[in-house]
Amino acid sequence: MFCAAALFSIMPAVKYAAGGWYKVAHGACYTLKGEAFMKKIKKMFRYENVGMLFVLPAFVYMLVFVGYPIIRNIILSFQDVNAGNLVRGTKNFILFDNYLELFQDDVFRTSLFNTLRYTVMCLVFQFVIGFILALFFSKRFTLAKPVRGILLVPWMIPVTVTALMFKLLFATDIGVINYILRSLHLTGKNIEWLTTPGTAMFALVCANIWIGIPFNMILISTGLTTIPKELYESASIDGANRIQTFFSITLPLLKPTIESVLILGFIYTFKVYDLVYVMTSGGPVNSTHMLSTYSYKLSFEMFKYSKGSAVANVLLVILMIVGIFYIKATTAGEEE
Amino acid sequence: MDEEKKLNGRKNMVFSIISIVILCILLFPLYWALITSLKTEQEIFQNPPTFYPHILNLKSYAAQVETGDFNMFRSFGNSFVISIGATVIAVLLAVPASYGIAKYHFKGRKLMLLSFLVTQMLPVSVLLTPMFIMFKNMHVYNTWIAAVLADATIGIPFSVLILKNYFASIPKDLEEAAYLDGCNKFTAFLRILIPIAKPGVMVCAIFSFLYAWGDLAYGMTFILDQERRPITAGIFNFMGQYGTKWSYLTAFAVVTIIPVALIFIFMQKYIVSGMTSGAVKG
Repeated sequence: MFCAAALFSIMPAVKYAAGGWYKVAHGACYTLKGEAFMKKIKKMFRYENVGMLFVLPAFVYMLVFVGYPIIRNIILSFQDVNAGNLVRGTKNFILFDNYLELFQDDVFRTSLFNTLRYTVMCLVFQFVIGFILALFFSKRFTLAKPVRGILLVPWMIPVTVTALMFKLLFATDIGVINYILRSLHLTGKNIEWLTTPGTAMFALVCANIWIGIPFNMILISTGLTTIPKELYESASIDGANRIQTFFSITLPLLKPTIESVLILGFIYTFKVYDLVYVMTSGGPVNSTHMLSTYSYKLSFEMFKYSKGSAVANVLLVILMIVGIFYIKATTAGEEE
Repeated sequence: MDEEKKLNGRKNMVFSIISIVILCILLFPLYWALITSLKTEQEIFQNPPTFYPHILNLKSYAAQVETGDFNMFRSFGNSFVISIGATVIAVLLAVPASYGIAKYHFKGRKLMLLSFLVTQMLPVSVLLTPMFIMFKNMHVYNTWIAAVLADATIGIPFSVLILKNYFASIPKDLEEAAYLDGCNKFTAFLRILIPIAKPGVMVCAIFSFLYAWGDLAYGMTFILDQERRPITAGIFNFMGQYGTKWSYLTAFAVVTIIPVALIFIFMQKYIVSGMTSGAVKG
């Protein structure tokens, strides 16, 4: 494409340079036509270049601070880099050894499994709760809009703070959750939520659902407003009940929204880092490590940078596979 | 879902009450953190717990100003400088970029758009170690600059994708009218298009700020000294050292939420638009 355009832009110029001979052969009229054509090409080129110039600074920035690090990270994962040779010194290539080691590493397998389990549990609950809330707030009662607005707050709060708040709620001695369970006589003694493997994961999932509900709710709310009211009217004329209407109108028409909510939710939840790092740091005994926290631990606590990079790359590959679906969904309406 | 009409008296009342109950349940963690920060340590450990502070205790806030190492107001200042820095970079770079992508069909446009989309999905883990090496080589490790440069990489792709839609929705006639009035490409962009896209620019600025404000990984990894670390890293450090000093910890948390609360109160409409347009088809 580019070559052809360049050739076209040169052709009139060549003809023009041939000057006198050309004029004699074809007459002044044709030259004028050639000139106009050349101008057009030139203009087109300038126009396109201007667009590129606007984007270039941001693109170069991302190339330097994101593009290069990604490639560097891939190279790192094939080397043997530790605290000694991180900044300078020779770095030996050991190819796939890091990856092979990982697949025999129990903590890595646990992290991979944890990340999947955590993501699926969070997605299911935050989606269902978010959906119910979106339906509830689509009724037109006085407080619908203001209350729905305030419910967005959990999503905006720094995750570190959320982690701290849930640590407080799930605290063993002073935690409200233990207090409530005791008052309801559901448990005799205080549960050590964050220091018992199974319950620690439960606490993490709860905290993440709390963050995710507003996101799901607001996106589904927006999706609901795009469904034409007439459809519901004609459905009620046809004698459809609420449940029928929901399954035959609301759900199918919300399909694009639901798709993007779930895919985005997966991506955001799967790369969870802050929440887990602050609440449990992967403990107790590595039982709540996620791919991201394990990668961090390997790199910045054990200084096995290459192994940490390898874990991060596994995370990256999984995200990119899911990301392809997201990009497909996002760019489907883009084609001009 | 299907009610076009407003709900009438009684139903309206019932729904409103239910919505208040939902609100109370969902915002309870926030309320609990706030009142814990206002209780005395003694009251926090009281059983059964008190649901509002019986003795109002502001010491947790005051003590932070006096002590040196874990001064949360200094951390607050650090976070503020870092977040503003990241926001400025993100907006300055993303505004022209999104305009270029929305209005010109140059070669490589699709590729660039795709690369912004992809960077939005990247986990921090992939970038931490290479950035760490890079910032050490650039001699900005352990300074605010490192955190600013890293945090801007979250704001830029988000802003480009949001603003692209704003610019695309501006009719071409308007731009052409500007050319007739003697504007060129750049002056038309500055004087006509940016003012129209201002709400979009606000959304980008707010979200870039919020992302940077909430960041923990970059601030903690690229800045070593507590005096220069952002407030999120401050909380984390504090937790490690005084794990159960809940009055101080929650006071720290409340201070961290202040800017978020202010943004929410004064700029709520931008939040909704940012959350929804970020994910819906462009």
